[in-house]
Amino acid sequence: MSAVLQSTTPTAEPVANYRLSLRRFTRNKLAVAGLVVVVVFLLFCFVGPLLYSTDQTHTDLHQVNLGPSGAHWLGTDAVGHDEVGRLMFGGQVSLLVGLAAGVLATVIGTLWGATAGYVGGWADAVMMRVVDAGIAIPALFILLVVSAITTPDTLGLILVLGLVSWLVPSRLVRAETLTLKSRDYVLTLRATGGTHGRAIARHILPNSVSTIVVAATFQVADAILLVAYVSYLGLGVQPPKTDWGGMLSAGLTAAYSGRWWLIVPPGLAIILVVCAFNAIGDGLRDAFDVRGRG
Amino acid sequence: METLLYLLRRALQALVVILIVTVVVFCLLHALPGGPARGILGPQATAQQIAAFNHEQGLDRSLPVQYVYYLRTLLHGDLGTSYTLNEGVSQLIGQRLPKTLVLTVLSALVGLLLAIPLGMWQAVRRNKPADYVITTLSFVAYSTPVYFLGLILVLVFTQTLHWFPSQAPQGDTLAQVFADPVALVLPVVTGAASMVAVFSRYMRAATLENLSEDYVRTARAGGSRQGAILFRHVFRNSLTPVIAMLGYYVPVLFGGALVVEQLFNYPGMGLLFWSAAQSSDYPVLLGCVLVISVATVVGTLLADVVQRVVDPRVKAGRT
Amino acid sequence: MSGAEKDAEAEAAAEVGTAAETAAERVLEVEGLGVTFGTDTGDVPAVCDIALHVQPGETLALVGESGSGKSTVALAALGLLPGNARVSGRITVGGTQVVGTGEAELARLRGRTASMVFQEPATALDPLTRVGAQIAEVIRNHRPLSRAEAAREAVELLRRVGIPEPERRASAFPFQLSGGQRQRVVIAMAIANSPDLLIADEPTTALDVTVQAEILDLLRGLAADYGTGVLLVTHNMGVVADFADRVAVMLRGEIVETGPVEQVLLRPSHEYTQRLLAAVPRLALSGEDAPEREGASVVELRDVSVRFGRGPSAVQALDGVTLDVRPGETVGLVGESGSGKSTAARVALGLIPPDAGTVSLFGTDLGRTRGRRRRALLSGVGVVFQDPVASLDARMSVAECVAEPLRMHRRGMSSADRRARVAEVLELVRLPKELAARGPRELSGGQRQRVSLARSLVLEPRLLVADEPTSALDVSVQRTVLEVIAELQRELGFACLFVSHDLAVVQEFAQRVVVMRAGRVEEQGPTMSTLLRPRSDYTRRLIAAVPVPDPVVQRRRRAQERTEATA
Repeated sequence: MSAVLQSTTPTAEPVANYRLSLRRFTRNKLAVAGLVVVVVFLLFCFVGPLLYSTDQTHTDLHQVNLGPSGAHWLGTDAVGHDEVGRLMFGGQVSLLVGLAAGVLATVIGTLWGATAGYVGGWADAVMMRVVDAGIAIPALFILLVVSAITTPDTLGLILVLGLVSWLVPSRLVRAETLTLKSRDYVLTLRATGGTHGRAIARHILPNSVSTIVVAATFQVADAILLVAYVSYLGLGVQPPKTDWGGMLSAGLTAAYSGRWWLIVPPGLAIILVVCAFNAIGDGLRDAFDVRGRG
Repeated sequence: METLLYLLRRALQALVVILIVTVVVFCLLHALPGGPARGILGPQATAQQIAAFNHEQGLDRSLPVQYVYYLRTLLHGDLGTSYTLNEGVSQLIGQRLPKTLVLTVLSALVGLLLAIPLGMWQAVRRNKPADYVITTLSFVAYSTPVYFLGLILVLVFTQTLHWFPSQAPQGDTLAQVFADPVALVLPVVTGAASMVAVFSRYMRAATLENLSEDYVRTARAGGSRQGAILFRHVFRNSLTPVIAMLGYYVPVLFGGALVVEQLFNYPGMGLLFWSAAQSSDYPVLLGCVLVISVATVVGTLLADVVQRVVDPRVKAGRT
Repeated sequence: MSGAEKDAEAEAAAEVGTAAETAAERVLEVEGLGVTFGTDTGDVPAVCDIALHVQPGETLALVGESGSGKSTVALAALGLLPGNARVSGRITVGGTQVVGTGEAELARLRGRTASMVFQEPATALDPLTRVGAQIAEVIRNHRPLSRAEAAREAVELLRRVGIPEPERRASAFPFQLSGGQRQRVVIAMAIANSPDLLIADEPTTALDVTVQAEILDLLRGLAADYGTGVLLVTHNMGVVADFADRVAVMLRGEIVETGPVEQVLLRPSHEYTQRLLAAVPRLALSGEDAPEREGASVVELRDVSVRFGRGPSAVQALDGVTLDVRPGETVGLVGESGSGKSTAARVALGLIPPDAGTVSLFGTDLGRTRGRRRRALLSGVGVVFQDPVASLDARMSVAECVAEPLRMHRRGMSSADRRARVAEVLELVRLPKELAARGPRELSGGQRQRVSLARSLVLEPRLLVADEPTSALDVSVQRTVLEVIAELQRELGFACLFVSHDLAVVQEFAQRVVVMRAGRVEEQGPTMSTLLRPRSDYTRRLIAAVPVPDPVVQRRRRAQERTEATA
């Protein structure tokens, strides 16, 4: 009988819990708007080029610096690329690098923070001082030093960005681990001969998932923003490839001569997407009722 | 006594953090093309000069030994010599750091003075239109790359309205900087924007949390009005965690200064760093990283100490 | 005339009496009160059609179990309910209508006409404001005094509520005071403007039993001196017997019985009240010791010391503690908060390594056993902790929670066997097997504790360590859980180390008792002789402080205590 129950009825509780979280999330208008914005931009950047095809590899010197018109909705840039197409093309890099770097930072941060929190004692103290040191060196400075040494490719860029931004998630996950490891069910497990591995795999990690997901969302927002700084700092992907930050820094001087269409669209794209991820993170945090950054 | 012990322990922690930073910088130094020898002798040095220098400085020894050497030169206040400016890095930084501090401290003050009342107001008007509008605005402010925001501000307030100059004060001394306060407006506002965004969120969260605390109910049960409760009790209790976050925000402020100084041509450490990056002036780059990191660690330490002064519980080692 | 008839007559007389009084004489009058909370999952009705009143100088106790809505009534009386509450009906405090009145007018009422004492002294005071200033604030809310005058009066109030060195303590921050002292400060705030009505919401629940007795004495004395009417909200029948003139019993948002305290506590008419009173553990005043158990100790702590922290702020949590549990017996570990009883249990479980002394479990030195052997040793132990919410991983189903020890220590077991075993223990703890697939969040507190118990028994342990297993539960639920434990112990024969602050519970369920105080064993021995004829002064005071749920007996004990104190 109990076997039947077990196999046919899924554990009702997490479902009910997630349903409650989902309801809380969907009631947060900003968060839902954020989700819509992210989906729209993903479609725009990755499906858009199929519907609106432009040449983003060859320069077209007959078509440089055109204003918005029927043929080029947002005009063209200094080497003749159509701006709408460029926005899609650059968005692919911004979103891909941002997502990958954000996830990478969260993974590193989770492993580091969970280890420090669970092991505790001296290891924790030393590992957290390393995090303090990492936080003490501003990421932009490190990126600028790296840019003075080398210009990485896309994969390298993801690695560099991931390596400079895992510190905040590591602190969050450590705090969560510290709380969870003193929960009564973990103490019970330890007091009745359970292994550390079991405590981590069965209780601590699964219960940290919401914290980690929330941290990852904020991390992606930060990473996309950081990607936008990267070209400005001279670390960006090389032409003819580009990203929104690259478009923005390339258009900086043009803006002074009134060619707003070169900077406003990529600027807005960055702001919208980063806002969207922040709003989603905010909504998820409230929905899961976890602590995270304000 | 207990405060003294706490300060001692906290200072020791800060020292460890600074040591770790020096290790990171030391590693970067060795990752440089040509290594530290080129870092000190400059890009024109020949291979023989480098070999001789390496031997003389013990750079052909093991890395741990070299690290000890490196620490020793640091302790003498020697950060090397700039390739391009032909001046000691310590001197260069010494001239520029005060100006950067002026910029960051002003930005932080303006940011906090705006963020704290905004956050409290949002908490009181929770889920009302005003809260949504400010929340949206702070998301936008947080999500705008500083250089883009600065550009927009310049386009609007300099190019179009002609209210403020597009350059920050250029003087060498602090007196000269303060002599031209109008020129400081745009750089400070640009630097403060994301701070307002972040700290209004912190303050909103902290205020909301405190509003649901039992002591608020006790005060209400004693006949205190909402306003009195807010300003006499909730404000101070919400401020303490926000102050604690301030320490962690110091590196972000310096990062902002890096961009703001370049944007408004303000001759502080950020601009020095920037031009050093353009000319691969490694000693300046790493010297700046080291100084900024130490400043951050000290800033965090100060934030902790301030929190201890404000919150009697922390003073007693309890929370 | 039979007892029931007499009661009926008394009630009729009371009715006539109340009818004769004008409503204005009552300091609190509640009629047809209904409260509904709007939540994420829809509207939740909390209380419905409540009618009660408090006259000057009398104490009405509002009793009930958790979720009965008694605190909601108390908060509604001062208009302090959270924003999602919808209130209907009439509440009159000192002639002022509360329901529907604006905050500004309520603020004039609160702290002057009526004031409130809350349950949690740890959080009821602003941590960053000196206690004197917090009292002065209440004074100046209602009276045009200067800062200095209010501060002087605050010191007087602190003296009045029995805080030693009030001049000095007025400038203390709340964290510098003990829980009992903090509650005295909250009381000082409540009486600062001599209110007509004092609402006390579980005022002693968070306090140790000796402190509880002091606070109740204080409240009783103040109410008598000022002629204040008191609405006392509590779940503790002993407190009711000690304090109340009349009692209203609440069940699921409604009042089911009202009457004078002797009548309700000694001759309850409603079936629920009868059940509630039957479930309350009572200190027995006579009894025989259980025969001493034979056999080698299951667990033994010898000269165990534990220090938490380092430097000057270190705390000596245990100081030379020696105790043991023999096969099949229950040893009650009692003491007030901070006595080290939970730490001792955790040392026995190997969760806290002792700084000095040894722990031997099933005859093996736990401190010297590592790895696989240690895990095998610990598989003979079952654990039940206090908090029903934190004891179970909310992400697992009940069946998974109970099966976890099997997965840990019976690796070879087939999943069919495992399911069968889980079903078997769930039946042992009297849980319907339909619950197996549910999540802990869908269960009540008592059900969760029984799941914890099932998990602890699934490997047939030789020792059960239960750390306050029923402290978070209502009395009726507490009784069923305790009975299940006792019954299974008789059946399965495990030994039990039972940590509790409740002397009545320990007296009923333990054969031996260990009294702890400030990290040391104050005394230990067979339960009955230790608790009925305590050798140590501390144990005697501890027992005297426990209020018994019988107003007549409690009055006698109090009088006796007073004469002994003066003698």
